[in-house]
Amino acid sequence: MLSLKNLEISFNNEQVLKGINLTVNKGDVVTLIGPSGTGKTTLLRCINYLEKPDNGEILLGDIHLDYTSIRKKDILKIRRKTAMVFQQYNLFKHRTVIENVMEAQIVVQKKSKEAAYKKSMDELEKVGLLDKIDAYPSQLSGGQQQRVSIARALAVEPEVILFDEPTSALDPELVGEVLKVIENVAKSGMTIVLVTHEMSFAQNISTKVVFMDKGNIVEEGTPTEIFYQSSNDRTREFLNQFYTEKNSI
Amino acid sequence: MMFQLDVLIENLFGILKVVPQTLLLAVIILILSLFMGGCLALIQRKKIPIISSLISVMQSFLRGTPNVVLLYLGYYTLPYIVQYIVSLVGIDFNPHHLHPVITVIVVFSISFSVFQSETIRGSMHSVDHGQIEAAHSLGYSFFQTLRKVVVPQALVEALPDIMNSFLVIIKVLSLAYLISVVDIFGQAKLLGAYNFSYIEAFVAAALVYWALCSFLTLLINKFELRLRKGF
Repeated sequence: MLSLKNLEISFNNEQVLKGINLTVNKGDVVTLIGPSGTGKTTLLRCINYLEKPDNGEILLGDIHLDYTSIRKKDILKIRRKTAMVFQQYNLFKHRTVIENVMEAQIVVQKKSKEAAYKKSMDELEKVGLLDKIDAYPSQLSGGQQQRVSIARALAVEPEVILFDEPTSALDPELVGEVLKVIENVAKSGMTIVLVTHEMSFAQNISTKVVFMDKGNIVEEGTPTEIFYQSSNDRTREFLNQFYTEKNSI
Repeated sequence: MMFQLDVLIENLFGILKVVPQTLLLAVIILILSLFMGGCLALIQRKKIPIISSLISVMQSFLRGTPNVVLLYLGYYTLPYIVQYIVSLVGIDFNPHHLHPVITVIVVFSISFSVFQSETIRGSMHSVDHGQIEAAHSLGYSFFQTLRKVVVPQALVEALPDIMNSFLVIIKVLSLAYLISVVDIFGQAKLLGAYNFSYIEAFVAAALVYWALCSFLTLLINKFELRLRKGF
């Protein structure tokens, strides 16, 4: 349902993604892992065109686009089929929790206020924030803000949700509540593409793990294949290093 | 020469009569200058090649010339410019029929739009980029993002500066008397001449200006506090 073909992007003449091919099926939870600076986040941001790829094609539902000849209308189409959860939450500061979740439904989807309100309450219930609907983002903890932003993403009923290191900016004790919510989203059958450094979480939640290094996809497979059975040197090196670091703390 | 309290009070009431029209004029100029300033800021943000540099030159000109000079310049040229433009659509227009109030509005709106564009540009920069990206990721169009995310927050940032420029406009309108548009200052001058009591008249004018500006400042501070919820 989502597939990228030969996606390339460069910043300042340095190629960051070197021809990525990726397929995501409906209901998949695809996790992108790999060292920092290998283009995981860039890849994710290319999917909803927050970064502009130089080359490649995207297939999303019934949309098929070539990045070299993309039009404004196409960009909106793609964005209206996807939603993103950011590392820094990026909630609208001047809106309350409920307004944050409602707004896109009203502005973009042209829903009635009542319908948007009802949908928002449903989503906020799922993330456990019904008691905070009238709070402003600045009055919430990071974990709560991230849960609101997940509710905001769910409320537009996207075909795929893109998570960009959703727990990296959180205090350690708040990570759990957000991961729990993401896990529930995954269980509900939502298609997810996730960038994360939470390896054990990736292992538990994913249907497919993609290991990236230096702008390439090195290897992809089930969590078991990647975490336990990988024969690729770079994958094993990365995972070993990761676990050693974790154990040494 | 004695300072006469009763004349002062009489002058105060006389001046209060022109406060509404002065305020109205200032509001019109404020709104027009904000609108034009907004357009300028947008054009410069988009970096449209030739227009952007033209605007820079215009800004530097307007910044570098006193309002009095601009006002006289407008007073002597605007009627003929209007005559020319109107003649293009085939209408005859007598340049002497252009009311000086129009000149005041046009000249000050243009002159203040430069300052407003700076204010607007700065305040738009203050909205963090993450929220704009969030709006984009949800499928907001350029104008939806502007209207729903950028403007409401930029407005709060810009409010003190906009308020300040409103007070400046009210005070600058005293120049309008030079081309026979009567505002608070103009009225004071007329009353002073009429009663031969210039001191009382100008003390009254100063008091009215002061009270007006204090009141407006108070009002806007309250309003700002309400808008600032969530920041």
